[in-house]
Amino acid sequence: MYSIPLLFGVTLISFVLMVYFGPDKTYDLLGRNPTIEEINEIRHQLGYDQPFFVRYLEYIKEVLLFDFGYSDSTGEKVTSILAKTIPVSIALQLPGFILGNVLGILLALFAAMHRSTWLDKLIMSSSVVGMSISYLIVIITTQLIFCSSYGLNLFPVYGWEVNSLSDYLYYITVPTISSVFVALGYNTRFYRAVIVEETTRDHVRTAKAFGHSASTILFKHVLRNSLIPIVTRIVFSIPFVIVGGALLLESYFGIPGVGLTAYDAITTGDLPVLKAIIVLTTLMFILVVSLVDILYRVVDPRISLK
Amino acid sequence: MKKITLLPLAALVASSLALADDIKVLKFSEDGTPTTFDPVQAGTTYANTVTTAVYDTLYEYKYLKSPYELKPNLAVDMPQVSEDGLTYTIKLKKGVKFIDDPAFADGKGREVTAADFVYSIKRHFDPKNRSQGSWLWTGKIVGVDDWKANGSDYTKSIEGLQALDAHTVQIKLIKPFPQLTYTLAMGYSGIVPVEAVEKYGRELSVHPVGSGPFKVVSHNSTKTVLEKNTNYRQEIFDVAGSGYDEKVHGFTGIATLDGKTLPIVDRVELNWVKQASARWNSFSKGTEIVNTTLQNEQMNEVLASKHPVTLKPEYAEKFNFRVNPEAGLVYNFFNFDDEYFGYSEDPKIGAANKALRCAIVKSFNWPQRVSRFYLGIGEAYPGFIVPGTDGFDPAMDKASIKQDIAGAKKLLKEHGWNKRSLPVLYFPGVSSTRNKQFFEQFRGNLTKIGYPKNKIKNKSYATFGDFNKDVKMSKTQLIPMGWGLDYPDAENTLQLFYGPNRSPGSNGSNYNNPEFNKLYEQASIMQPSPERTEIYKQMNQMVVDDCVGIGGYSRTRIRMWHKNAIMWPQRDVIGNYLKYVDIKS
Repeated sequence: MYSIPLLFGVTLISFVLMVYFGPDKTYDLLGRNPTIEEINEIRHQLGYDQPFFVRYLEYIKEVLLFDFGYSDSTGEKVTSILAKTIPVSIALQLPGFILGNVLGILLALFAAMHRSTWLDKLIMSSSVVGMSISYLIVIITTQLIFCSSYGLNLFPVYGWEVNSLSDYLYYITVPTISSVFVALGYNTRFYRAVIVEETTRDHVRTAKAFGHSASTILFKHVLRNSLIPIVTRIVFSIPFVIVGGALLLESYFGIPGVGLTAYDAITTGDLPVLKAIIVLTTLMFILVVSLVDILYRVVDPRISLK
Repeated sequence: MKKITLLPLAALVASSLALADDIKVLKFSEDGTPTTFDPVQAGTTYANTVTTAVYDTLYEYKYLKSPYELKPNLAVDMPQVSEDGLTYTIKLKKGVKFIDDPAFADGKGREVTAADFVYSIKRHFDPKNRSQGSWLWTGKIVGVDDWKANGSDYTKSIEGLQALDAHTVQIKLIKPFPQLTYTLAMGYSGIVPVEAVEKYGRELSVHPVGSGPFKVVSHNSTKTVLEKNTNYRQEIFDVAGSGYDEKVHGFTGIATLDGKTLPIVDRVELNWVKQASARWNSFSKGTEIVNTTLQNEQMNEVLASKHPVTLKPEYAEKFNFRVNPEAGLVYNFFNFDDEYFGYSEDPKIGAANKALRCAIVKSFNWPQRVSRFYLGIGEAYPGFIVPGTDGFDPAMDKASIKQDIAGAKKLLKEHGWNKRSLPVLYFPGVSSTRNKQFFEQFRGNLTKIGYPKNKIKNKSYATFGDFNKDVKMSKTQLIPMGWGLDYPDAENTLQLFYGPNRSPGSNGSNYNNPEFNKLYEQASIMQPSPERTEIYKQMNQMVVDDCVGIGGYSRTRIRMWHKNAIMWPQRDVIGNYLKYVDIKS
């Protein structure tokens, strides 16, 4: 039930921001020598001459019907834009998302297992290095190394023409390397902290005293009991993967995903697209919160869904 | 047995490869993205490139001719113009068809008629289409303004816009408009069938249905793919008639294309790559993008010399290039609505304001601007008439583009400006590193003439729309902007100073000089002639003398293309050039 006031609150706040602080699309659509009448015509077309609450009610109606009309920039139906771009963003982000988390957890376990040794320090300092390098630099460098004639020239710099698995691997490899490189630092540090905290608990000490093997302790007692914060982090980043897209990756690798669409909508004040993306993100979060509750129950049966 | 089983597969692979080899694909990049291909909104260079490739216009520019020159495209001949210059009669080619599309009853493209042209221009005056091109004809074609005022009813005819028969268009003007034919070569005048508008509605923007040499087969925010329109009328490449000059174009191999049927390539892939590094990497590896524009970032890596421009041997071996000044200019106008820059009823204040404008003009260092931001190639010129257009005078006094610190200081002193009285100055621009650098350079020059550093501030806007809003509402003190020519006539830039075009119109400076206005009105109805050229020169001198702004400079671009492409890269003004490009197999 909490989802209804949440959706209402998010749409209201975001609409206030869009209307009062967002770019004025009128001046993006004008010809080069406009008159005041033409400016007023466009404002009328965009609904800018309507009172705030009339516009907001119209927004609510659009949310209920899930029909946001046409993009003010491209003239294309908003739902068609999202239907085309969201799958591309998911396809782009998914390998990096999975690899970044799986490798992060494995490295964190390894570091925690060798806590305070040089291996732990090496992993942690590498993580800090990874976190410190700008995503932009990582993208440009990986492009130079893997895609350009100045480097290995193995993969495309730009484009997205995916018709088969081999095409997919061809276009996805370098963006995935870039995103894993950046995500790994943050993930490893976070997961290590969680795991290290778990290793100091009494039940782990007891398990050690009972003579369990290191791997049993790590996977059965430490990892399993660390799953709540790990699951929370992973699941809460899903909406960004699906709706938020990856603006920099999409922009530099020429991938027509929803990240670029959202960025363009924000910077040009394309309200129909922006409204749809906000609603979709909110719905994703509502879904994710529910999913997290269920997953908590799966990983820790003591937690009640009630 | 195994061999036999694999044979069909091998044959299939071989035939696919052969097919792939047979298809000629032009792949090129641009630094922006078009948002729509509806002719009524073809306001950007990117949109114009595609719109003119997929829609027919009555006229087009000769591919290689410099200065620009028009030739018939869908029209049979150049227009027949009445003695008084008010009536244009244009015959259309017969048998030209739109592409096959589900918009048509049987899915087959029907013949393009004069009524389609009339309908396409009418669309600009229907407010729901949000036309960006209506200003070209507003107040010029008889009856269009009334048609719009009366509700844009397509069943009602417009006196000045008639289809006399299926293949004859007649345009009647309120007053002579010598630039009319130029406007009929712009993407805005692309001919659209009513069936497509009815079927796709607003989504016509991504489902163009035209009769041009190409059709759009896919489009997204990073790439547009065009394919040859197999229904395209018979058109032969007349190289000599296109303005070919052996000395200029000889190295390109274009002469070998004489007599070829247009369009030559089967497919065009337009990559919209805003990131300069990605664009260059994709171009230089040679497999993805055939032509691009050299950026500042790659200049030292690629160029062996700038004056003249030559490439380093390793690049010269692989690429052709063209040094190409834009058909447009960049400038920095003062806003005459501002109390410190504009007119005043008090002659003393008016003179002081003019002195302040002129001092700022004198402080500006054009060679430094060109060197830091524009590859160090090309030169600024006095005034605001773009080189190559009628009225540009290379012999004009260059004092207005030379930095003169002592002269600027003297002017300020003579008119009583000092550190205390000089106003706080806001330099506006869209938030970006480059705009910040422009501001720093502008401020650095002003401090040299004694302008207090703390009185020069940057006003940053999140988006171009926000910046443009303030310009249109006359809220900025300065207007640092650029103007790409709509057509190659100095009238197109001189109208930027015509009083009645003041904000929100194109005259962002709000300059309003009755003498200038009178000359503009006189020249704007004159056909090209030495007399008109003289008036243009006078007007240009007038805005220089009044220190209306800092200018002008046409950014010079180095366009590069792989040697397997036979082409002459053209981006500005001419539009429909993709049909002339060939790719060597």
